[in-house]
Amino acid sequence: MTRKIAFIDLEKGTVRIEPISVELRRKFLGGRGMNMHLLSGSYTPELDPLSPRNPLIFGAGLLTGTLGFGSRMNITAKSPESGGLGDSNMGGHFGSELVKAGLSHLVITGRSPVPVYLSIKNGAFEIRDARGLKGLDTVETQKRIRRELGDHRVQIACIGPAGENLVRFACIRSGLKSAAGRTGMGAVMGSKNLKAVAVRGTLDIEIPNPGAYLTYYQSRLNRLMQSKWAAALGRQGTPLLFRNSNLMGFLSIQNNQYTAAGERVAGLYAEALEAYSTGMVACSGCPVHCRHRFAIKNGRYAGTMGEGPEYASMGSMGSKLGNYDIETVLFASELCNRYGMDTISGGTYIAWAMELYQRGIIDRTVTGMSLEWGNGEALIELLRRIAYREGFGNILAEGSFARPMLGESSREYLLEIKNLPIEMTDERLPKSFALGLATSTRGACHMRSRPSIDVLGLPEEVLNRVYGGPVSNRLSSYSGKARMVWWHERINAVADALGICRFQTVFSSPHALHYPHFAKLIAHATGLHLTPKEIKTIGERICTLERWMLARSGLTRRDDTLPKRYFDEPVPEGPAKGEVVSRKDFDGMLDEYYRLHGWDRNGVPRTGTLKKLGLIHENQS
Amino acid sequence: MVCSLFHTGVINPEKSAVRIESDDLGAGLNVPLLCRQCKNMKCLEGENADEGMEKRKFLWAPSRAQRCPFHALPVYDGYAYHCDLCGGNPRCLKVCTPNALSLQKVHGAGPL
Repeated sequence: MTRKIAFIDLEKGTVRIEPISVELRRKFLGGRGMNMHLLSGSYTPELDPLSPRNPLIFGAGLLTGTLGFGSRMNITAKSPESGGLGDSNMGGHFGSELVKAGLSHLVITGRSPVPVYLSIKNGAFEIRDARGLKGLDTVETQKRIRRELGDHRVQIACIGPAGENLVRFACIRSGLKSAAGRTGMGAVMGSKNLKAVAVRGTLDIEIPNPGAYLTYYQSRLNRLMQSKWAAALGRQGTPLLFRNSNLMGFLSIQNNQYTAAGERVAGLYAEALEAYSTGMVACSGCPVHCRHRFAIKNGRYAGTMGEGPEYASMGSMGSKLGNYDIETVLFASELCNRYGMDTISGGTYIAWAMELYQRGIIDRTVTGMSLEWGNGEALIELLRRIAYREGFGNILAEGSFARPMLGESSREYLLEIKNLPIEMTDERLPKSFALGLATSTRGACHMRSRPSIDVLGLPEEVLNRVYGGPVSNRLSSYSGKARMVWWHERINAVADALGICRFQTVFSSPHALHYPHFAKLIAHATGLHLTPKEIKTIGERICTLERWMLARSGLTRRDDTLPKRYFDEPVPEGPAKGEVVSRKDFDGMLDEYYRLHGWDRNGVPRTGTLKKLGLIHENQS
Repeated sequence: MVCSLFHTGVINPEKSAVRIESDDLGAGLNVPLLCRQCKNMKCLEGENADEGMEKRKFLWAPSRAQRCPFHALPVYDGYAYHCDLCGGNPRCLKVCTPNALSLQKVHGAGPL
């Protein structure tokens, strides 16, 4: 609770450190919630995401660095990738280190005249010359900074060549794999001439009642370690999700022209990854250790090592592109990490290009290379060209802004929502996933809600109890799914404000952590007393604040939509054959979803809702 | 985290007797750093100290860390952090989910 916020102006070279009031903590907790509050004053339609005025905000969760479950943080700004809300969540160790340094939030504005990096040690700041780091990939950058600072325990968040070259979907990276991946936060950092933020913290984190905290943590931990899902994640990581999505038919195959690919996908299953795994590692303080370390010992990519990849990266570099060779997928994912660009967005833009190529809308004269589905060599070369903005890569580096360059007929084949491309699932079958994608405040994001327990077919009594209302247990049904999406959006906002990992919550199981546990963890770790109901309201407040920011910039119901393919093209074959999203039923879900959130029929927060949530006095510039 | 919290009342990995050196940007294995509970306590050499009593303490003088042949004791903020086995119920064990830690009685060793 003594953690501070630092306002850094890179143009003036000044740093101002301030405390964070208890009132603000009670309203927004920390992490994503606080970030949105900090961004809301600057978020206007005129704000150019690559301009010095765009604030780049780092926010550690309220429980990050403590015995919470997971130590995550958010990075937020206006997005150069979508032109809308930019926000990305990251695990690993950077967030904890920031907290140990006495800080929970950084607001970075201005553009430095020369490339620099920030070095923070226990709350003391230094702006250091980064010219010697220019062009280094995201891992080399970290190694070099550690050597320069003479401390191998410094945690670093940095950009690679993609961020330096303002690739619109460049990301911010830490460690071997952690990434604030989507919405182009790396490009914002690059536009500020900021190569890295390095932090080292050795300060005490005060705990009101250590004995009680230890006892409570131990009891939750014991329960967690008895659960099947923690064991599965801890052994296999998220790639374990491939089998199910392929069998049920909600994978994106070849830019969502298909939704399953039979036996071919087995090449990417968790079992296939295990052959390359050298062990599992954890984010700071997390007991689940769901991240693989991998090494490729033989073959054309021998010598490649890294951490991860997650199911989403494997799908984006793999099944989405008709590529089922795991070694190519591992290498491609690792390249994205090193270049510092998002695997999910990258995969979808490349899939777009590949479908255009397939249909003859573009050809070799435009692409400079053959772009058939499954062409691993082309994928790897194209990733390089994107990172360095060469040739066709310079076009794809523009993401959805490349549409005018590729012609009117190219538009409908980029599957995006609010200018953010979809990820590696296909949502025509799982209607709750579809609604979640359509309404996500950062565009087509599968993490804003993603009610993943929908795939389990749990008994309806269980679902009704969890969601507080009737919800169908059939994945393809529309019934009650608005309630499901609304419910998950709210709890996810809370988890992101606390820094608790999604996998520790109802994302994984109805028996996992939720509001009563959050209340206890918050009280134990910070001394702040909030009831489960108050915490639920904080979730609602964060969701509505994000929505309100977008509405003030012109967002309407029209923008909560799905790619044309989802409405107009039934799945052609496979386990989900015939599935499509009916516009009428989708509209029904949307109406119910808005009603539950307290927004009007256009998706704009009602005045009454804003007042009830204490947002009506939020400053507007 | 639990080591520092249990012994000092704050969370601070610098104040923990059990430490992990990790090669987080490379492929190396993690290396544990922890008092080995040696029979022959080189750390107390030259002091007129009661070994039994000292073993049960968590906060030690930094000079003892310098004598440790394994460099196993972290030093921070004027203290060396010595693993006292939490009096027989190590807190770190209870939270280590990969089961990398275990408490074993060495044959012929004295009482804790």
